[in-house]
Amino acid sequence: MTQRLWALLCKELHSLFASPIAYVVLTAFVSLSAIFFFQHVVTYNRLLFLFQGEAIGMAGFDAGTPPRQLNILEEVFIPTSGDLSLLLLALIPLITMRMFAEEKATGTDELLLTTPIRLWEVAVAKHAAAYFFVFLLLATSSVFPAVAIEKGRLGLEHLLALYLGQLGYGVALAAIGLACSSLTRSQIVAAVLAYAIPFVLLDFGWLEPLVSEGVASFLGQLALQERFETFARGVLELRHAVYFAGLTSIGFTVSLTSLELGRAR
Amino acid sequence: MSAKIEAKGVTKRFGDVVALDDFTLEIPPGSVFGLIGPNGSGKTTFLRVLTGYWLPTSGDVWIDGQSVVASPHRVQQRLGYVCEQPKLYTDHRVDAFLRLMGGLRGIPRHDLADAVDAAVRRFGLEEVRRRRIAVLSKGFQQRVSLAQALLHDPPLIVIDEPTVGLDPRQQIELRRLIRSLGGSHTVVLCTHQLGEAEICCDRVALLDRGRVSRMASAEEMREGGALERLFLEATHRAEEEQAERRGEERE
Repeated sequence: MTQRLWALLCKELHSLFASPIAYVVLTAFVSLSAIFFFQHVVTYNRLLFLFQGEAIGMAGFDAGTPPRQLNILEEVFIPTSGDLSLLLLALIPLITMRMFAEEKATGTDELLLTTPIRLWEVAVAKHAAAYFFVFLLLATSSVFPAVAIEKGRLGLEHLLALYLGQLGYGVALAAIGLACSSLTRSQIVAAVLAYAIPFVLLDFGWLEPLVSEGVASFLGQLALQERFETFARGVLELRHAVYFAGLTSIGFTVSLTSLELGRAR
Repeated sequence: MSAKIEAKGVTKRFGDVVALDDFTLEIPPGSVFGLIGPNGSGKTTFLRVLTGYWLPTSGDVWIDGQSVVASPHRVQQRLGYVCEQPKLYTDHRVDAFLRLMGGLRGIPRHDLADAVDAAVRRFGLEEVRRRRIAVLSKGFQQRVSLAQALLHDPPLIVIDEPTVGLDPRQQIELRRLIRSLGGSHTVVLCTHQLGEAEICCDRVALLDRGRVSRMASAEEMREGGALERLFLEATHRAEEEQAERRGEERE
C-alpha cells in the first residue's frame, strides 16, 4: 500500500468516526438487530410452548411433539438474517452518501486532487473505508446469530455462510452508495439514489405480469431478495459471490470514472 | 529551488463557454507573478489547469519541462496550492491535518513530524495545533492552508485570493510572507486587489475573457496608479468590443 493511499484511508476513517452519523448507525444497527432477534426468539418460544403443552391437542400433530419445521433455524436464524439484510439496506446509504458528495460540496476535492495522489487511490481509500464500516457493523451484530447457532446446534458453517454472504451483500450496497455519492454534490440526492437502486434490485416480482416469462426469469436471477435465505441455510453459491462482486466492481468503476470525468470536465 | 512555467495554447471550454481561449504565458523561475482580471476572466480556471485539478480542452502547461497533461502527478509533487477560501478538512486537528497533507504529498514518514513542527512554528500555529480546524478563526485557517501548501517546500506555490476575509494586520503579514517566498520559489498569485499585486508581484498578467490582454512589470506597476489605469484600459476595451459585437449581432 502506498503512503498516500494509507494517509487517505486514515483520513477517511477519521472523518467517518468524527461524524455522529457513524455512531448513530452503529447503535441503530445493533439495537434493531437485538430487538428483532429477541422478537423471533420470543415467537419461537411461544410456538414451542404451544406445541409442547400437554393440554393442547391439535389435529395433525402428536400432543407434546413440535412439528419438524418448528426449529431454531426456521424460526430464529433465517428471519434474523433477513432482518440484518434489510437493516444493512436501510443504514449503509447513510454512511456512503457523504463520502464523495461532501468533498465536492465543501470544495476539499480541490485540495485533495491537487496533491500527487492518483484518482484510483482516492477511489480505493474511500471504498475501503466504507467496506471496513460494513465489516464493523456485521461484527457488532454477530452475537445474536451466534447465540442462535450455539443454542440450536446448527453448526458454524451456517454462521460463516451467513456472514460471508452478508459481507458480500453489504460491500455491494456500499459500492452502489459510493457510486451514487460520486455522481452528485448533494448528500440527499446521493442517499435517495443509494436507496432507490437496491430497492429496485430487491425483487422484480412486480414486473412479472408486464414482461414475458423469459425476461421475468432473467430478472429473477438479478434480484437481491432470493440470495438472503440461501446464506442463512449455510449455503454459499458461486453465482451469488459473482453477483455481489459484479455489483461491487460496477460501483467502484462508476466512482473512478466519475473522478476522471470531473478532472476532464 | 524555483520552477519555470510555460503555458501554450491552453483552451478550456465548459460547453459553449470558453473560460480559457488559446492562453499562452511564460513565468520565469523565482518570480512572484500576479494574475489579475475581472470576474470570469479565467484566472481561477488557469490555476486549476496549472495545478492539474482540471485537464485543458487543448494545449498544455509545462512546469520545468514537465507536462501537466501527460504527468499531472509529477507536477503536483512540485507544487503547493492555497485555494480561494481555505478548503480544509475541518473535522481534523491542525497537526493531524498537516500530517495528512504531508502523507499525501509523499513526505517520508520519518521526516513528517519534523516537517509538521517546522510548518507549525513558521506560521505561528503553536497555540492552535491541537484544536479542530472548524473552530479556528478565518486568519488561522488561512495560515493552516498556507502551511499545508509549503509543508514539502515545493518550488512552485499557487495562491488564489489569499487575503479575502482577513483583517488588515493579517493581510499585511500574508503579503510580506508571499513577497519573502519570491526568489527561492516561484509564486503564482491570483488576486482581485490591484494594491496587493503591486506590493507582492514582480510582474502581472492582466487577463480578459480567457486570454492575457496585457503584461506589466514591477516598474510599470509602481508608476502611480499605472496598474489601475492598465486594468481599466483592458476591461474598457473588452467592454467596447463586447458592445460592438452585440451591435453587429443585432444588425
